[in-house]
Amino acid sequence: MTVTAAEVVEAIRTGPAGPEIGAFFDFDGTLVRGYTAGAVLRDRISKGEIGALELARLIVAGLDGTVLGGNPLTIGDISFAALRGRTVDSVAEIGERLFVQRIAGTIRPEVRDVVRAHLRRGHTVVVASSATRVQIEPVARDLGITHLVCTELEAEDGVLTGHSSTGMLWGERKAAAVRAFARDRGIDLKRSYGYANGPEDIAFLGSVGRPYPSNPHPLLHRAAREYDWPVLMLREPRSPGLRAYAGTVGGVVGTNLGLAAGVAYGWLIGDRRRGVNTGIGLSTQVGLGLAGVRLNVVGEENLWKARPAVFVANHQSALDVLVLGALLRRDFTAVAKKEARLDPRMMVIGAVLDPAWIDRSDLTKAKHALDGAVAKLRAGISILILPEGTRMPTPSLGRFKKGAFHIARQAGVPIVPIVLRNTGELAWRRSMVVNPGTVDVAVLEPVETAGWTADELDDRVAEVRRRVTDTLADWPREVTTR
Amino acid sequence: MSTSSPDRPAVDPAEANAQAWALAGAWGTGDRMTEVEALMWRSERHPRRSATISVLMMLDTAPDWDRLRAAHDWVTRLVPRTRKRVLEPAVPVGPPAWVTDPAFDLDYHLRRVSLPGPGGMAQVLAFAQAAAMTPFDRTRPLWEGTLIEGLPDGRAAYFLKLHHSLTDGPGGVRLVSLIQSRHREHTHDKPVAPPRPSEPRPDPRWLAVEEVTEQVLTLPSAAGRLLAAGARVLAHPESAAASALRFAGSLRRTTAPWSVPGSPLFRGRTGKAWRFGVLECPLADLRAAAEAAGGSLNDAFAAALLGGMRRYHERHGAELAEMSMTMPVSLHKSDDPMGGHEWAGATFAAPVGLADPEERIATLRGIGLTLRVEPALDGLSVVVPVLNRVPSAVRAAVGRLPTAADLSASTFPGAPGETYLAGAKVERAYPFGPLPGAAVMAAMVSQAGTCGLGLTIDGSVVSDPQVLVECVREGLKEVLALAPDVAGA
Repeated sequence: MTVTAAEVVEAIRTGPAGPEIGAFFDFDGTLVRGYTAGAVLRDRISKGEIGALELARLIVAGLDGTVLGGNPLTIGDISFAALRGRTVDSVAEIGERLFVQRIAGTIRPEVRDVVRAHLRRGHTVVVASSATRVQIEPVARDLGITHLVCTELEAEDGVLTGHSSTGMLWGERKAAAVRAFARDRGIDLKRSYGYANGPEDIAFLGSVGRPYPSNPHPLLHRAAREYDWPVLMLREPRSPGLRAYAGTVGGVVGTNLGLAAGVAYGWLIGDRRRGVNTGIGLSTQVGLGLAGVRLNVVGEENLWKARPAVFVANHQSALDVLVLGALLRRDFTAVAKKEARLDPRMMVIGAVLDPAWIDRSDLTKAKHALDGAVAKLRAGISILILPEGTRMPTPSLGRFKKGAFHIARQAGVPIVPIVLRNTGELAWRRSMVVNPGTVDVAVLEPVETAGWTADELDDRVAEVRRRVTDTLADWPREVTTR
Repeated sequence: MSTSSPDRPAVDPAEANAQAWALAGAWGTGDRMTEVEALMWRSERHPRRSATISVLMMLDTAPDWDRLRAAHDWVTRLVPRTRKRVLEPAVPVGPPAWVTDPAFDLDYHLRRVSLPGPGGMAQVLAFAQAAAMTPFDRTRPLWEGTLIEGLPDGRAAYFLKLHHSLTDGPGGVRLVSLIQSRHREHTHDKPVAPPRPSEPRPDPRWLAVEEVTEQVLTLPSAAGRLLAAGARVLAHPESAAASALRFAGSLRRTTAPWSVPGSPLFRGRTGKAWRFGVLECPLADLRAAAEAAGGSLNDAFAAALLGGMRRYHERHGAELAEMSMTMPVSLHKSDDPMGGHEWAGATFAAPVGLADPEERIATLRGIGLTLRVEPALDGLSVVVPVLNRVPSAVRAAVGRLPTAADLSASTFPGAPGETYLAGAKVERAYPFGPLPGAAVMAAMVSQAGTCGLGLTIDGSVVSDPQVLVECVREGLKEVLALAPDVAGA
């Protein structure tokens, strides 16, 4: 029997609630696609930190462990030894860097819904894995998971000893660790959930009352049939195909040609603003169309309720600019950080839209730029600001910077939050390629800023941010497609 | 390990009789050994690689000898194989055949002894282990039954010894149930076996010629299968290589666990001195304990054995975390009908060092769930035909490899209700397995709501078998205490 993430979410919603119900997630191959250890190894190999002999031993141990029925724990022992003498902080830092650069893009999108459903029911949500804290912690934090049952590296005075205090939590040992965790916390395993993809986790899945083999290995699939376990099939994060590459090239070319045509038109009729408006419309429509991206917008009327306005949106992807351009269409510009000026994808847009560039390192200049933005608003031009300041590695919302709110208050215009749900899935932060698909957008009610005082600004920012978070967690139902 | 249970739901006795008799009449009529039977027959090197399985039944009174003899006579007429001997082909071109033994003599196979007082359990076990150690006469039908008299208060025992190539554990239980009756009185109207057509006198050369002929006839289809398999490999080389690697890995995992050193106490065993020990417990209690810990009856049984092993090792100052253990694993869904069951032996690292019996059961359950889907377990049928066509010395060497486990265990479903043997009530049944390289072989069968455990212990390394039995008794007690009502009492 195969089930979808939506069906599992529904089962969780109607099932028992409370912290005595556990939800245990395997990490590699379940929460994320593939093996994060691969990312760690690639990183060390690319930096020349791994010797030829060590590499050969790893390969042999890896083969022996996973295929030839040998001791799969050997590969762990070798890796632990290689980390000896490093500080805990430096290793954690590598983990954070790898998360942003590589691992975040491999999180299975639907896993978020399942994890969130468990958290909402007050379940004790746990990552149970043979991977180390270094690999898991950033992902767990991003998903809102606080409990880890994993292979722990032993440290003395902040320096790794090259040993593990738990041993590698693989196979039966991991199952035993999960049972011990459950005993310590008073978790009722018979009513708890487990998610895993590999045959080494049959014992782990057998320890919980509601096992869900997820995107299972053939041998685990066989076990699922044998023991009547429902198989959960999760959507993979997109990996670009030929259509995606062709579409991306078409999208970039189309965007630029569209803008250029608009500017030329404006120059011909002698109205720069109208030319730019035409260019934005042309370029975003053509660009998105060629890239195969469709929009699914909720609350579109809010785009036009109050103009000029300061539009704030969450930011995960290079695709966001195109999507927001297609939504706002005319009479707007943007405030962006100075560094983005050098981004090739921003160059044409920068030249045409004439955005306000903020130099974050220079407070006076930054203030000056913001004053310019206020002036533009007073002239009837709306401003688009991405208050997280940078692209986020996952759909989890970052901290909001206050600039956008200052500007809106000073100009006395409302703030309109725009929530982008899955642009990161179509074009991940680190990726130059856009995958075809549908972007979910929600435009929220305008927030009036009249009467805001400078003192209460922090609270106001938090309130707007909370509205965005709530929208991401519980997407509005009514849908209009364009 | 599996979720099967040694008892079955109660059925209408008359109907059950009819079913059992119909089954028995059809059973063992094939005149050729299967590949697995042949492997057991040919690789036997008694006693170190013995294929002797036996059961000891304790009776409330001495049965009527004439009725007992008549019952055996009837069964041997009903089940043809019990009157057949094994014929080897002149050259090993195929499996041996079962041929009717023209010299069959019931009085050779059914014996009667009287213990020279006081006739306690120790004496009965001493007799049984000696009888089990005596090799079979390989030119006769492969079973021997003995009525043991001279026990206190006019009680008696019955010891039945079978060759594993004649039948497996569950088959042995079926055979035993035929000799027994469901009530003390004699059962009338039993079907009489139809007279069987007399077979031509076979000889080894004739058998070899016939088997070669058969194999030549089946050659085209075998070649066709081989070609088809070859074509598959050529068409999908990657997936073929991957599945071959997976199979090799699985074979290694299910036959020789990588991480388990042998017990220091069991080193240097010869397998030549069998010591029998027995234990018992209520089936319902063991089942309740298993359920409380989320495992099957087999998991609870194995957990009890391991608890005993841990205690025995502690007494001798040895500490073990894991112990290599062999147990049959069910290959198919536990809710399959009896006929659909297939079992395979798997060797794994058993958690002997775990002091908590509940966690021990949970661990064993996890191991069992993992092993049951190993592709190599199904693969025994692939390896066996090849093994049967190599010289016997090589075969004996190869066959020894997967049986180096320290502990071996199996359970059989027994009779659910009370049974009688020629008027005597069967109070307990204790099964005993051979010692195929293991230091301790434990078997369990249920008889009318009571589990009987039979331990075969290698006396060459265990000089104090009664201490080991005592340790297992404590291990069993510890597991039984998991049952809610037992714990509360």
